[in-house]
Amino acid sequence: MNRIEQQMQNLQRRGEKAMITYITAGLPDLETTKKLLKAQAQAGVDVVELGIPFSDPIADGPVIQDASFRSIQNGTNVENVFGMVDELRQTCEVPIVFMMYYNTALHYGLEAFVDQCVRTGVDGLIIPDLPLEEQGELRAILDQKDGAPILIQLVSPVSKERIPMILKQARGFVYCVSSMGVTGQKADFHKNILAYLREVKAASNIPIMLGFGIRRAADVGPMRELVDGAIIGSYFIQLMEESGFDEQTAKEYVSTFKRELNAFAYEPELERKSTSDLEQFIEEQGIQLRY
Amino acid sequence: MERYYGSYGGQFVAESLMNTLKELETAFEQAIQDKGFMEEYAYYLKEYVGRETPLYYAKRLSERFGTKIYLKREDLNHTGAHKINNVIGQLLLAKRMGKKKVIAETGAGQHGVATATGAALFQMDCTVYMGKEDVARQALNVFRMEMLGAKVVSVESGSNTLKDATNEAIRTWAKTAEDTFYVIGSAVGPHPYPRMVKEFQRIISKEARAQILEKEHRLPDVVIACVGGGSNAIGMFAEFLDDPSVELIGVEAAGLGIETGQHASAMALGKPGTLHGMKSYLLQDQDGNVQLAHSISAGLDYPGVGPEHAYLKDSGRASYVSATDKEAMDALKVLCETEGIIPAIESAHALAYAFKKARTMTQDQTMIVCLSGRGDKDVNTVADYFAGKGYMN
Repeated sequence: MNRIEQQMQNLQRRGEKAMITYITAGLPDLETTKKLLKAQAQAGVDVVELGIPFSDPIADGPVIQDASFRSIQNGTNVENVFGMVDELRQTCEVPIVFMMYYNTALHYGLEAFVDQCVRTGVDGLIIPDLPLEEQGELRAILDQKDGAPILIQLVSPVSKERIPMILKQARGFVYCVSSMGVTGQKADFHKNILAYLREVKAASNIPIMLGFGIRRAADVGPMRELVDGAIIGSYFIQLMEESGFDEQTAKEYVSTFKRELNAFAYEPELERKSTSDLEQFIEEQGIQLRY
Repeated sequence: MERYYGSYGGQFVAESLMNTLKELETAFEQAIQDKGFMEEYAYYLKEYVGRETPLYYAKRLSERFGTKIYLKREDLNHTGAHKINNVIGQLLLAKRMGKKKVIAETGAGQHGVATATGAALFQMDCTVYMGKEDVARQALNVFRMEMLGAKVVSVESGSNTLKDATNEAIRTWAKTAEDTFYVIGSAVGPHPYPRMVKEFQRIISKEARAQILEKEHRLPDVVIACVGGGSNAIGMFAEFLDDPSVELIGVEAAGLGIETGQHASAMALGKPGTLHGMKSYLLQDQDGNVQLAHSISAGLDYPGVGPEHAYLKDSGRASYVSATDKEAMDALKVLCETEGIIPAIESAHALAYAFKKARTMTQDQTMIVCLSGRGDKDVNTVADYFAGKGYMN
């Protein structure tokens, strides 16, 4: 079974929420990336997203743009990331998702790329510039290979009538983008986030994860009954940079976030609250709602 | 509406833009079938832009190179280039869609100036994204945009040039699409942009085809235009695509020479890839990262090319060649001295190849060269180049 699906099943059985982190591969070098992934796995991270740096990351904000730029300067490319994953897999089974741009796979050759994912143990792909309509070519290859990674589907606050169509193709988890635009920015969620999350939740039979702009567990607290987990990207990278890519800091961050995320008491109240009451509650937590 | 040209084109953008693109496509389709809309567009092209532009028979050039050379004078448009044709069309569409804010990307600043001009005309709020490097080397155009009331944002990311300004415009658009219209300046980007830009530049060949039939009573043998993203070329080719006897030639920038690696010829050496929402020929390094283009002409300094050109190349309907910085600058000088016209350096690339091609043609054959813009903006670059100081682009 695919590691992501296995992990999601385990979490669901235990009634836990998932924590997913993102780091740009090769920052400051691939050896450190490997150590950081291992440290996070030990601290209980559920899935790791590994950013394959690309020269023109149109879905990313300044933090990840800058991280990608420097990683490329360091010589990171998809080939040596595969090498690193291959080594990591000897001792670590954490589910790995590549967060990448389509051109990287296209240039590598889609079939060769998928083969390498299967061989090294990459479990999922997030490709933000590959919307549903453009997935056919890649999907045809993924569908015919045993053990091929899952193409993770993204939905946004303005997806609306596209949601059911997108979910039909989704496996593993659904990546719910919290705001319009790009990764990073502080917890400014889209003004209609609640209606949107409720819509996705109602339509989805797989876990839904909230990403973009999340820093701490409290940011998702008010929405905890609507999502199955959170994805932390830009903030985690900043934390890593500030700590000099310290493994201990990574571990502490992951275990604290996970603990806090799962310590929220179940509040059926939250599920029943009207959207406007919940909006008020969210803003009381210091989270801005806007687009 | 078809999203692809063969295997090129498509919509390689974030999910959050897909509904916006759909909305745009629908609005565009309805607009171009609406007589009122097209009449308004025609009105502004005539009364504001100054169309139609002449198809000028360049007698002395023709004598010198041995075939009849006609110049389609897009340089005589308001703001000095063909860019304004498309800007007027897109801004009228934005207005029709009820958007009051527009954003644009610009490299050398020509599209930025055209967008700022149109935004002033239609009283829209305009922000132009421009790479930090370009802001420094095109200070005069930054000033022009500001005079016209636009805000210019200096983009510091990646290579700090057009490609990065475009990325930033796309990112901003993804954030603000609910009330903002993105005016793309070339025949690039996600569907429906390449189609839209072609539609609003089609006027170039519509006029030229009628003009040459009137003057020569037959179709031209050859039509030549320069290609960066490819907007003047697609406009120049559009009405000739179904005339198989007309040879269509696009001229890319070869910079210091294709063999040096310092060039902007996506179709000479690029391979298909995705950038700025489209799949097309793209200059890439061995890891699939986008390679920086290089040309003395800022307007041709783009690592990709519009998807329809990629398709026309593969299908053989058009051929694509290139001209080096030196060839273009020599041709620029020839046009100045022979005909008293200072062309934009972009257009000089088309001229450079046209002169070569003319020598293989006969005296009673005809050729149209798209003179896409005037060279006023380039005089500093030209002066530096001929003084042997090199150039900054």
